[in-house]
Amino acid sequence: MYVDARLLGTFTELAHDGAEAATRSLTQLTGVEASVDVTKVSLVERDAVGSSLERGSFVGVQFGLEGGLSGRAVLAFEREGSEALVAGLLGGAADESMAQSGLSELGNIMMSGFIDGWADYLGTSIAHSPPTYVEAQGSDLFDAGPASADDQAFVFHSGLQCAAQEVTVAIYVLPDADSMAELLSTRSAESIAVEKLAAFNRMTREGAQTAAENVTLLSGVETEAEVARLSFMPIENVPEAFDDTTYIGTAVEFTGTPSGFLLVLFDERAAAAVAEALVPTAAGEGSLTADHNGAIEEIGNVITSGFVDGWANVLQRSVDHTPPRLVHDMGRALVDPLVAQLGQHQRHAFVVDSRMHTAEFAFEIGVHAFPDERELRAALSELDVDRADQTEADPTAFF
Amino acid sequence: MKLYDGRETAAGSDAPGEASEPDRHRVGIAEYAVSTTGATLTTSGLGSCVGVALYDERAGVAGLVHVMLPSATGPGEEPAKFADTGTMLLVDELERAGASRRRLVAKMAGGSDMLDFSTGASIGDRNVQQVRRTLADCDVPIVGEDVGGEYGRSLRLDGDTGTLVIRRANRVETTL
Repeated sequence: MYVDARLLGTFTELAHDGAEAATRSLTQLTGVEASVDVTKVSLVERDAVGSSLERGSFVGVQFGLEGGLSGRAVLAFEREGSEALVAGLLGGAADESMAQSGLSELGNIMMSGFIDGWADYLGTSIAHSPPTYVEAQGSDLFDAGPASADDQAFVFHSGLQCAAQEVTVAIYVLPDADSMAELLSTRSAESIAVEKLAAFNRMTREGAQTAAENVTLLSGVETEAEVARLSFMPIENVPEAFDDTTYIGTAVEFTGTPSGFLLVLFDERAAAAVAEALVPTAAGEGSLTADHNGAIEEIGNVITSGFVDGWANVLQRSVDHTPPRLVHDMGRALVDPLVAQLGQHQRHAFVVDSRMHTAEFAFEIGVHAFPDERELRAALSELDVDRADQTEADPTAFF
Repeated sequence: MKLYDGRETAAGSDAPGEASEPDRHRVGIAEYAVSTTGATLTTSGLGSCVGVALYDERAGVAGLVHVMLPSATGPGEEPAKFADTGTMLLVDELERAGASRRRLVAKMAGGSDMLDFSTGASIGDRNVQQVRRTLADCDVPIVGEDVGGEYGRSLRLDGDTGTLVIRRANRVETTL
């Protein structure tokens, strides 16, 4: 199966328009103002489909899709905030059963708005099954789907933000593999074989695993790789996929095929814990010393080199990177200038995300790469999928 | 286009006797919004992007656009993504909402030089220069600005007063 980058862009825009239609329905029915934060299509491991949901409690409304687009769709509402939506919908407080049927009906109307544009574009009809109400913690809202030889799936994801109530609502559409293949069947010069995208994802997973082992080795803080995801979205959506939380980390530009930028971001707690493990003086939250910053810079360099050298090994290309620059700012503001530089030449962007997690301190480290779109496609077209596990980089080379 | 004129949010939002919170609307990247009801318009995470705020005190009309790049390189692009077309669009939309161009005043913030790996003028600087040129072409004076530097910003525009509050990651606030 091949995917055409332009078609992926078209479908991402359809999903964005669908999410805006769903948002208008939400506002009309509940009186709650909302806007679409981000829409993207990702290739992700099946069991990590909902991993962008935080670890909170969610209620959801599930649908089956049939016709021009077949698969599954889920609307996820943060449980706490969903009460405000139900109150707006029903004009006051509701008991559990009324709340469930209210949310199901709200989801039903939002989903109709979401898929209308797809049906128009495809010139066919798309039917959705009656809504099924579900409750779960975070990504448990999604089952892994039917067993398949393919361990990765495309998922369209839109995030909605309700301004005053701060309720997060997410729409996920998981097309069946056959349906996705049919949607993207046009071959062109911009087509990429899905098996190569999947191999690139596995390579990112390997890179994250190596990086996590290096962080564990150097800091003594037990760290695990959690997820690898390759997303495609309009360039202006890329910063929107990040929040305003303050992060500490490193940024580099990498050059070669592909070129681009890579960010390693620790939340402030993570940065303090890792820096304290490396430098024998205590650090308060948000008040790291120059030594601590130096430690973060070094560990950022190790993580960066692990990824970039891994890609270079697999792609059999020379990929270099600049020395890391220490960054300490809002996540969205850090991403903005990097993708603006890419945005001078491209309208859509590939984003490579991976995440590491430490159970001991309950913090996360994110690694985010923004490769030049055309150069990544060129590199992938020559990727030998059998080399995808040859990503080893030696951390001792950096100390 | 988002126009907040008080008609969209009336349904079921306030129970009788409950204090009404001021409307607050988020403007995303390459988006803009206009308020005629004193609503607060916000945008966040400006790095090299620029937020341009326009205000007509007498008409009670305010608007905010979040632009990303200096100018478009091809057709079919979202106008609010670019400093030239986005600023011009906001001026036009404020007039359409009842503002007068000769009473408009502008404030802007953002255009940081952070993480610019390119050689020559940074994108942030080029964004700021393009907003200046477009506002000058429209004869709209800039009455306040907080631009450049090496840090990100988030903005809050009070649609009632035209006050623009800029917040950095270290929680330092500047009011224009």
